[in-house]
Amino acid sequence: MRTALFFILIVIFILPAPLHARDKVLDIQEVTSPGGIKAWLVEDHSIPIIALKFSFKGAGAALDPADKQGLSRLVSNTMDEGAGDLDSQAFQKELRDLSIGLSFGSGRDNFGGNLKTLTRNKERAFELMHLALTEPRFDPEPVGRMIASNQSRIRSSLSDPDWMAVRLLNDMAFENHPYALNSGGTLSTLQSITVIDLENFGKFRLGKNNLKISVAGDITPEELATTLDNIFGDLPDVSLTSPPDLETQNQGQIALYERDIPQTVIEMIQPGIARTDPDFHTAQIMNYVLGGSGFGSRLMEEVREKRGLAYGIYSGFYLSDHFKGFSVSTSTANTSVKQVLDIIKAEWTKMLNNPVSQEEIDNAKSYLIGSLPLSLTSTDSIASLLLSIQADDLPIDYLEQRNKNIGAASAEDIARVTKRILAPEKFVTVLVGKPEGIAATKTYETLPNVE
Amino acid sequence: MLIPLQAYAQTDIKADSPVQGEKVFNAETFKLDNGLEIIVIPNHRTPVVTHMVWYKVGGADETQGKSGIAHFMEHLMFKGSTGLASGEFSKTVRKLGGNDNAFTGQDYTAYFQSIAVEHLEKIMTMEAGRMRGMNPPLQEVESERKVILEERRQRTDNDPRGRFGEQMNAALYVNHPYGTPVIGWFHEMEKLTWDDAKTFYDKWYGPNNAILIVSGDVTGAEVHELAKKIYGPLKRVETIPERNRTISPPLHAQTKVLQRHPAIAQAIIQRNYRVPSYRQNKKDSLALQVIEEIMGGGATSRLYKSLVIEQKLATSASMSYRADSWDDTTLTVYAAPAPGKHPEEVERALEQELRKLVSAGITEDELQDAKTRMQDAAIYARDSLSGPAMAFGHALATGSTVDDVEYWPQRIEEITAEQAQNVAQRFLDPDGKYDHPPVTGYLLPPAPKEVPQENIQKIEPAANDNAADVPPANSEESTP
Repeated sequence: MRTALFFILIVIFILPAPLHARDKVLDIQEVTSPGGIKAWLVEDHSIPIIALKFSFKGAGAALDPADKQGLSRLVSNTMDEGAGDLDSQAFQKELRDLSIGLSFGSGRDNFGGNLKTLTRNKERAFELMHLALTEPRFDPEPVGRMIASNQSRIRSSLSDPDWMAVRLLNDMAFENHPYALNSGGTLSTLQSITVIDLENFGKFRLGKNNLKISVAGDITPEELATTLDNIFGDLPDVSLTSPPDLETQNQGQIALYERDIPQTVIEMIQPGIARTDPDFHTAQIMNYVLGGSGFGSRLMEEVREKRGLAYGIYSGFYLSDHFKGFSVSTSTANTSVKQVLDIIKAEWTKMLNNPVSQEEIDNAKSYLIGSLPLSLTSTDSIASLLLSIQADDLPIDYLEQRNKNIGAASAEDIARVTKRILAPEKFVTVLVGKPEGIAATKTYETLPNVE
Repeated sequence: MLIPLQAYAQTDIKADSPVQGEKVFNAETFKLDNGLEIIVIPNHRTPVVTHMVWYKVGGADETQGKSGIAHFMEHLMFKGSTGLASGEFSKTVRKLGGNDNAFTGQDYTAYFQSIAVEHLEKIMTMEAGRMRGMNPPLQEVESERKVILEERRQRTDNDPRGRFGEQMNAALYVNHPYGTPVIGWFHEMEKLTWDDAKTFYDKWYGPNNAILIVSGDVTGAEVHELAKKIYGPLKRVETIPERNRTISPPLHAQTKVLQRHPAIAQAIIQRNYRVPSYRQNKKDSLALQVIEEIMGGGATSRLYKSLVIEQKLATSASMSYRADSWDDTTLTVYAAPAPGKHPEEVERALEQELRKLVSAGITEDELQDAKTRMQDAAIYARDSLSGPAMAFGHALATGSTVDDVEYWPQRIEEITAEQAQNVAQRFLDPDGKYDHPPVTGYLLPPAPKEVPQENIQKIEPAANDNAADVPPANSEESTP
């Protein structure tokens, strides 16, 4: 069945190792197939498992038309529901019987796939992934079932205040941009998606030329090279339009969606910084001190540890291709919303006006560098990390550079980057609940892009 | 206060039955003189470790009226102990590049850190320091009580699904502590004090009621040596109480739980059965695990195929069963009715599938396929640092043995189709009569005329946060 494979000439290029091999976080090999398809690989033969992840850059939900919101999501839900001669149940049964994890997923920017298999079933796993990518059936039964399932998911989310807050934040901060739409679809747009839409998605968005691939586990570079052509070799080249870049919209506004619940969910966002920016790693230190670390962060100390106002409060960078943000999330009793908002503002001001202590800097660096290996403890997590580096077009020695940059950041660098980023007056704030003593500038009666 | 004890290696914790074949994790086991059990799972892929201490005490071991004290104690464990100021534990872990957290269940409370292997000794020293030496400042106790109330609001009270799950549990476990949510009832949580916590701590926290689990880039001998040095001197608790929980009386009425709530747009129908845990009956539990895989395991499972694909009655349908429990455990059958489908119609379809299982059992093919998938899952389980430590912790804290975990694939292999059918007949028959009949729950949008006409234990949506309360369907509170 697979004899053809053995006659293919295998050509592999392995990049020379970086200069300081002992400082390497991960031994990443770049593999190029005979057909010219590239992948990053971390070989590990200690467990008979292979994880393969890939991403079609720029093929995600931001390209979905407003009247077809949820298209990318629906494609991701139906590509594994039958392909080639296998209908939905036959395809799923084979995956189950061979313990193959095969799935697709869609974000705003990228459309991706995951394959996880035991070594003993790898050949069939690769074939099934190839089949799903190139010959998905989109039979009416599974398509209808997946539309119903997504509609059910949306209806279920309507009692989840965290989900509502994020929905509203997207609507506020990304107003008039494709990012403001509901990437999971709305109850009515999902209904309007046709099989033709699904088929065109593959033709026009999934190309060899916008593909990033990462692999970890029990496979050699030689075998991977052949495998890449077998899975992805048939894909066309595509040309994609790109949404415009976006600044934070509705800066300074406070939006309220009133719900009869005991606690108010708070989501805030202001402009941020790109992962490819030379200041990004310095900004990570600032974020860690301010609210990124959970326990020990200034926000957690002030809001939770000293005052017991919330179970948790976190800040973090929102990184997407066309928008860079810096966000804060928490939830607190309706009576203490104003107090928490005041504390957040005060911490922003404090950070802007006072230097961060050397101890805080040292602790942040120590964590950011020291904790990196904790995210490299499974084939899955390694493959995910490799893919995220490639998706941002960062170099193969990015992890080493990252550690070096974090280590080199000085107090002055941090002060400068803090002034560059933090801007409390630019926050757009979303509240879901029944907060007391808050003057909202905008009130939502219904959730946008849900019905 | 601490009396040094001469600790030495003991043999492996005794296996309860002879089993052969390959072990899943190849863990090494030791026991210290002060009673501390030690499990080491070597894994040399990355120079990191996960270090966990599990205490065999949880929400179900609380004194009545003090609900939430096990979980509150878990929070307070971060608030200052011998040699550590409040908050210093987590800050030190972070400073060393590690992550830490803790969680509380009905039967256990666990603390864990993941960190570079060279910091293991430091972490152990801190963890040993809070095993018997907690001493949080009182103002920290006050603020932390507010934190757990916010946690309850966030996890349970802010979403009607949280309260629904809590109420389902309360109805199933009448006069048994599993009916009380781990996070606690709001009105009792408000009144918890440091005295309550200290009483609980002194009674249950000590090396002879704990399991140390280390997974990662270490050998058994290394961990054993370190543990002897660091945990060895800790004094045992004189008498660890028996876990004698109150027993549910036989119940005669069917219980239905109905909650209507304006925020609910997708109805849920759920039936919870009380069934044996692994500790209570290994064979029955293994058979239930096989049944769960066949009935509820994904897109090709019986429930999904019948209700979602073929009959189009529901948009999702599944079964779940958790074997790790000290007393009875819960098996849940669940479906989300499709638009326009009456929940009762969906409930009948679920019952129909159960009847089929009871009367016709499972086929040899289904059994073999399920076994293969379950055994493959054991291979995937090795691809993780903390996962194996979690598996041992859950198992041992609920009365299973190391061998039960290591030879789980072999034990699954022994289950026959007859056993599976027999277990279904004894526990899941919709027409059966049981001392602890299942609880059926409907979570519905407001639509007054659609109320099922039966004995209904009616739950109106709570007017405010303090009135009614709930535990999540899964009885574990993660924290700190």
